[in-house]
Amino acid sequence: MTLTATWHRTSCAALMLWLTCGRAEAHPHVWVTFHSELLYAADGSMTGIRHAWTFDDMFSAYALQGMPHAKKGQYTRQELASLAQTNVDSLKEYGYFTFARADGKKLKFSDPVDYWLEYRNPALVLHFTLPLKAPAAAKVMQIEVYDPSIFVDFEFAKDRPVSVSGAPQCVATYDLPHQPTPAEQLRLSQLDSTPLDASSTYGETFANKILVKCP
Amino acid sequence: MTKSRIVSLLVLAAIVTACAIVVASAQAAPFGASPPVTVSSASGGLAGWVFAKQAEFYRSLSTYIRASKEDGAAMWGLFAISFLYGVFHAVGPGHGKAVISSYLVANQETWRRGVVLSFASAAIQSAVAIIIVAIAAVLLGATAAAIGLTVRVVEIASYGFVILIGLRLLYVKGRAFLIACRELTWHETPVLAAASAFGGKTLQLPARLAGSMALHPGQCQFEGCAGHVGGFHCEHHQDHHESAWGHAHGPEPSELAGAGGWRRGLSAVAAVGLRPCSGAIIVLIFALAQDLFWTGVGATLLMGLGTAVTVAAIATVAVSARQAASRIANARAGVGMLAMRAIEVGAAATIVVFGTLLLAGYMATEQLWMFTR
Repeated sequence: MTLTATWHRTSCAALMLWLTCGRAEAHPHVWVTFHSELLYAADGSMTGIRHAWTFDDMFSAYALQGMPHAKKGQYTRQELASLAQTNVDSLKEYGYFTFARADGKKLKFSDPVDYWLEYRNPALVLHFTLPLKAPAAAKVMQIEVYDPSIFVDFEFAKDRPVSVSGAPQCVATYDLPHQPTPAEQLRLSQLDSTPLDASSTYGETFANKILVKCP
Repeated sequence: MTKSRIVSLLVLAAIVTACAIVVASAQAAPFGASPPVTVSSASGGLAGWVFAKQAEFYRSLSTYIRASKEDGAAMWGLFAISFLYGVFHAVGPGHGKAVISSYLVANQETWRRGVVLSFASAAIQSAVAIIIVAIAAVLLGATAAAIGLTVRVVEIASYGFVILIGLRLLYVKGRAFLIACRELTWHETPVLAAASAFGGKTLQLPARLAGSMALHPGQCQFEGCAGHVGGFHCEHHQDHHESAWGHAHGPEPSELAGAGGWRRGLSAVAAVGLRPCSGAIIVLIFALAQDLFWTGVGATLLMGLGTAVTVAAIATVAVSARQAASRIANARAGVGMLAMRAIEVGAAATIVVFGTLLLAGYMATEQLWMFTR
């Protein structure tokens, strides 16, 4: 009897702790619509990625707060230079939210070059080029742009989200983060009780994926 | 007795640990192995729906703010959306739901007070966002980087206060728990002695059983209702029981019920509410950029109201669950009371764990400074 009573109480305590435990999730407050241009050298190897990220209007207004500018409602590239610097500096910590694989092998990027901010009322557009540490040739190049912690919500630009320059023989395709199928939905709902092991790449299924296939 | 006490303690410790691990693992570093967990919540079931809705509301805020520039009537649409955003947004992480709920559970607060404290917390949260933007952006023309830093400092102070409040509660509740343990052992002795008078066989009773049998009437006498030893009457005086149990040994609910109790409750919600919502800051600055600062203030206050509704609902559930638990505990007397004390210790520990995780940055739910630091 005492044992059942103990269990009763334990379940009560568990309930309480579950209530207070809460689920840890993140809220995005930054939305980015992006276009990526994949840069190829004459020898058919990929050298880097040129990104153009358009921030949502509310975040743009926030980022522009207090930026000195000559004309109301207009910001020149020079006026935004320091903000662009801050942007790329802080993005380093997150690996520029860009993940690349050449035939399945992870690639590394160097610090961004050729970066600037453009103000297209009402949005800010961040342009930057991410050079690969070493140019890589691959039959299948896979590039993903996403924030695993979803503080930032990335989505492909509606028109022409991806382009390839310097390699007319390669074909780029892209996958929208797909809506989970019923089977995946089920698996996702069980993640809390049966988590994935640390090496799993299941989450990437739902990333913005670019595939470049070269002959 | 000792065995069951150890069992309950172990189980409780296990739950607290599991809870902490779940929280910590769900929010590992941005590029750790955590994405599946976050993604799951973004795309699955009810949580996914709430998540999608709140994002949708948030994103439509800018359209409504713009519209209210030309059309004053659009402001009402903005306020409605702001309120809904607050309601949905607060279902997600942050907003001190967990801390407030734990606080209410640990302190045996009533649901009424839970509701008031939830609203107070949300009001403080809105006010802090408005004050930061009013001073930094409107008066000083500070940059996003400076505002982000200010928010970060306020946030750290908030988490620090949460930890302090949690530690204080943990100390008080931990002591009450230890005292309850001692009481329980203390009560066994006379019963066993009495039982032995009836003959050797009674002595074979498991000590645990004897303890709980003896405590039932014993507890009633304690509460000064010796005339109505019937369990029914005793249960009706549930609150009375609890205060009597703790009263002699440490600061307990009776103390909280007074003016000082309100003050302490408010200090807890102030600590939680100090951290402004990033969404509110961004909305305010966006409104300011449209020369509609006051519209932004209105939207922020309504977001706060929406948040308060959700937090109050969750707090009410937590308080009722606690009361249900305490009813069960009362029916089982001694050990039950011990379990209640244990739950309170657990709730206090949860506050400390949450505060620490938040402070350490493992549980950041919003990042304002991502591109502007």
